[in-house]
Amino acid sequence: MSATMTDGLSKGTTGPMTRDTTALAAPRRDFGWLAAPITGALGLAAFWLFPEDLGLMTRIAATALYVLSLDLVLGYCGIATLGHAAMFGTGAYAAGIAAVHLVNDPLVLLLIGGAAGGVMALVTGGLILHARGLTLLMLTIAVTQIVQEVANKARDWTGGSDGLSGVDPAPLLGLFRFDMFGRTSYLFAVAVLVVGMVAARRIVRSPFGLACRGVKEDPLRISALGGSPRAYLVTMYAVAGIFAGVAGALTAVSSGIVGLDSVSFSWSAEALVMLVLGGTGRLYGAVIGTVAFMTVHHILAATDPFHWMLFIGLFLMGIVLFLPGGIASGGERLRALLARKGEGDQA
Amino acid sequence: MTILLEVQGLSKNFGGLQVSSDISMSLKAGDRCALIGPNGAGKTTFVNLVTGVLPPTAGAIRLDGRDVTKLSAADRVRRGLIRSFQVARLFKSMTVREHMELAVLQRDRRTFRLFASVAKTAGLADEVAECLGLMGLGAAAETPVGSLAYGQQRLLEIALALAMRPKVLILDEPAAGVPHSESQRILDAIDRLPKDLAVLMIEHDMDLVSRFASSIVVLAQGKLLCSGATRDVMADPRVREVYLGSRANAH
Repeated sequence: MSATMTDGLSKGTTGPMTRDTTALAAPRRDFGWLAAPITGALGLAAFWLFPEDLGLMTRIAATALYVLSLDLVLGYCGIATLGHAAMFGTGAYAAGIAAVHLVNDPLVLLLIGGAAGGVMALVTGGLILHARGLTLLMLTIAVTQIVQEVANKARDWTGGSDGLSGVDPAPLLGLFRFDMFGRTSYLFAVAVLVVGMVAARRIVRSPFGLACRGVKEDPLRISALGGSPRAYLVTMYAVAGIFAGVAGALTAVSSGIVGLDSVSFSWSAEALVMLVLGGTGRLYGAVIGTVAFMTVHHILAATDPFHWMLFIGLFLMGIVLFLPGGIASGGERLRALLARKGEGDQA
Repeated sequence: MTILLEVQGLSKNFGGLQVSSDISMSLKAGDRCALIGPNGAGKTTFVNLVTGVLPPTAGAIRLDGRDVTKLSAADRVRRGLIRSFQVARLFKSMTVREHMELAVLQRDRRTFRLFASVAKTAGLADEVAECLGLMGLGAAAETPVGSLAYGQQRLLEIALALAMRPKVLILDEPAAGVPHSESQRILDAIDRLPKDLAVLMIEHDMDLVSRFASSIVVLAQGKLLCSGATRDVMADPRVREVYLGSRANAH
């Protein structure tokens, strides 16, 4: 830091008419693009390594997409929400109802789920995103409760508390049947997750993503640059709603059922836990957090059916205490540590 | 020369308290004007009225011949009325380069491109490099603003304002918080601003004012005390009394 300071000082003394356009520092390297191919490769490896657990792994992949969509909202816009399940559940129910009454092409069902989640986010976001902080948090919870109650009351469409069953998707692309072992479901879910990661990364690196990061840090400064903070927030909320809706539809298509728990407060809160666990504002942190949480959850629940909640709690406390930035921040800390050590060796 | 900013009879009351009353002034292209006055003279209120942060109780503001009194702050920014902040207001986690990219993209209204790449936006990198070079910030392009020296943050504020392609630029104490020995760097940067800009600088430091300004507007107790060429205003006994005098006593 002191180096840049003296650097700047010497530049200042080169006289008023000197233009220094040559010495632009080189951009830092960014390896975030590796996350999607690595996820795809590990997903395929798991397909061969754990053929018994395809059902669980399919749920993990779909949930990872859901948590990823929350990262767009929380990590890149700073919108604190405990109502993200409203978009997930809307997408799941829309796809489920469409599958029972209209179409059963899995890709069309994902599109329907995404559109439904996006519209739900656009409408509710437009209504509540003028608020910030705790007020907004309360409003997001209220939206989820309302959506859940509507799903509960509209029994004819949603099955109410019994859940919606009978989602029977046609073969994927007309070729791959959704088999009883869940192989097609799993590979489909991993493929959708990878596509979602690529699309999300593209969005956060776009001019729009840059503006959203600005809104997260200082909305008034964005106004002073001539932008409308709320327009960015509502747009990103709707984009994240599309992702969450697709994740919901993916869950409906792969599991064949949709329940009221998919629009619940606890499902919203669980997404937040998984995201914070993995690390916000990185996208791949959402995937890491989901895999870690659901895997540990599964193993503990299987080995100790009586005390597993206690161990989940201890696991979360351990991560929050020792890696406050989430699991994904561990790698960055390690790199910073090694860099410092490297500098020390040189000196 | 064309008049870029014209303020007529601007007044602001907060309830019964009159913080600005009947202020009129104008800036022509190329003007370098300083707005001075003792603490509590209403300088910040005046800037907030002109930039649209506060609605005036009475009066009119024209920007490049068009009445902007009713327009929002963001609309005035889009029409070329740009300000920098007294306390550097920057996005702490973003790098210097990202700040400049955001300002240029926002100016061109290209921020709703969801699938475009910032890095591949045509012409952006060159313009960012030029703006940063002008302010001597090229070497700091990849530094997160949170770990930037304060003087450089002030330079970045000016670079951001410049990237918005202003017609009228309002600099709110651009050298505040910068050690006196370094304020020359800020003035050098201001000297390099395009000559056709109208610049209004709010400043306490009479030394900076005399080096920067060709004309001065003096506010005292919310009213326009006097205005004119720098030398005339500095020699005005009323100014010496309310401003220079009180400052001299304070030291």
